[in-house]
Amino acid sequence: MTSKLTRSLIYWAILSPLVVVILFPFGVMFVTAVRPREELFVYPPTWGFTEFRWENFSEMWVKTNFGGALLNSLYVSIAATAVALLLSIPAAYAMSRYRFAGKGAYRTFLLMTQMMSPIVLVLGLFRLMMALGLVNDLNSLVLTYAAFNMAFTIWMLQSYFNSIPRDLEEAAWMDGASHLTSLVRIFLPLAVPAVVVTAIFTFINSWNEFVLALTMMRSSEDFTLPVQIYAQVAGRYQVEWHHVMAATVLATVPVAIVFSWLQRYLIRGMALGAVK
Amino acid sequence: MANRIQKAVPLMMILPGLLLAITIIGYPIIDLAWTSMQDVSRFGKLTGFNGGANYAEVFADPLFWGSLWRTGIWTVAVVGGTLVISMPVAMILNDDFYGRGLARVIIMLPWAISLTMTAVVWRWALNGRAGLLNATLMNAGIIDQPIEWLATANTAFVVEILVGILVSIPFTTTILLGGLSSMPQDAYEAAVVDGASGWDQFRHITLPLMKPFINIAIVLNVIYVFNSLPIIWVMTEGGPANGTDILVTYLYKLAFRFGQLGKAAAISLVMFLVLLAFTMLYVALVSRNDRDDAAPEEEVDA
Repeated sequence: MTSKLTRSLIYWAILSPLVVVILFPFGVMFVTAVRPREELFVYPPTWGFTEFRWENFSEMWVKTNFGGALLNSLYVSIAATAVALLLSIPAAYAMSRYRFAGKGAYRTFLLMTQMMSPIVLVLGLFRLMMALGLVNDLNSLVLTYAAFNMAFTIWMLQSYFNSIPRDLEEAAWMDGASHLTSLVRIFLPLAVPAVVVTAIFTFINSWNEFVLALTMMRSSEDFTLPVQIYAQVAGRYQVEWHHVMAATVLATVPVAIVFSWLQRYLIRGMALGAVK
Repeated sequence: MANRIQKAVPLMMILPGLLLAITIIGYPIIDLAWTSMQDVSRFGKLTGFNGGANYAEVFADPLFWGSLWRTGIWTVAVVGGTLVISMPVAMILNDDFYGRGLARVIIMLPWAISLTMTAVVWRWALNGRAGLLNATLMNAGIIDQPIEWLATANTAFVVEILVGILVSIPFTTTILLGGLSSMPQDAYEAAVVDGASGWDQFRHITLPLMKPFINIAIVLNVIYVFNSLPIIWVMTEGGPANGTDILVTYLYKLAFRFGQLGKAAAISLVMFLVLLAFTMLYVALVSRNDRDDAAPEEEVDA
């Protein structure tokens, strides 16, 4: 048997090329975000720079209307998460606790909708939102993100709900509590962690979405962060890369930290849930 | 009466979500099918039934076939590359070693970041004049001239495939880890007693037992990758000269740049049918695994 230390060294050596490639874009992001503008295009290209120019962030905030896009992203992601959860919690509870006619068909329907991607439907969705008068309205994104995330939230919640023992609710029924009372008083408090974790992942999905936001939001004051940052790059003769990178740092790092912290719950949910 | 109410309770619970899904996901499919058989003006007005004319136009369009061909290459290369890298990574992460927690966090990191942001950062990192990839390679003495990575379609497409692989690794590794963590340890112990080498163990125990997880990883990745717009859209917008267009980027241009809505609807429907086929394959795989779970003892001794 090889010792744990030797094994660790071998494993890290094998993983190192991948680790370097994964961390490379983060390095690029930080190094560009803090370097002075006049050092963006030097020849030969180099990682080094002369000073940390933290003002890049405050300049970027004003010039790219980062604050406005941030508020749009927050509104859409929070509202979509709320709608998705409000509709998913009862559905997941029904899937976890009841037998009913059509349950198998409903499960298949969920798997199918989970696989449907917005891009294939984007033209139809755009026409639908036109008909509803919701183009250029952030609520169009709230509805579509909620709908496209619901399959994920339902099976994620269901897999956690299954692990909450039924005995407590059944004891409450014995004591004469109605199903609704036992649901609100006994079940939901136990389900809070599952709901929070699911909510955060739905939030991150909505926060990161690009195609629908690019399509439905036609004027720049309605852009969400990914579209706003993309608009700083696409079709421009001169791209202010230090601002773009500063914006990506602010838009991604908080989300990446939360995600890294919670990823084991996602892995657990997936192991328990539909992927298994 | 009370019984009937009891029966209606779960249906009432799933109904609101079901209605939203049918409106947002179901209705557009029907609308696309309808639109794809109509003449459509630039402004989205349907001006009359034209039978299969939109489809005939799509199938006579060399750009469609080019995009379809590249979609095939893109999907096979990204899914294949991802699997080949993710399998050893998952096996390492499943084993116990110093710094495993940190390694897991790093490997999962690309998942946390939106594809759009990843693609924006890579577009800058690959910049021909000042990109830091060129800086790194020149410092290491691997190249002595900066390379314009995104200026020619061939190199751009290869680079996009590599970025596609990078962002698909976390999800794939997660699925494979789920499979590895449920592996029966006694099979390996028996194999060691019988004098099997590491490679023998991998081929005769790990691979067969992992097959259901590998299948699901392949099908899910095919679905996600086949549909993925942001990487190619942000890095090259399908250019130069349509050289990196895949079906989704071509579809998006037709619909929202060139106003060829009938043709775009026809391509959408073709893609929807392909997607449907893969989704049904996925559903079949998942339900087969569920059945296998019901009798878990059988495979262990095999």
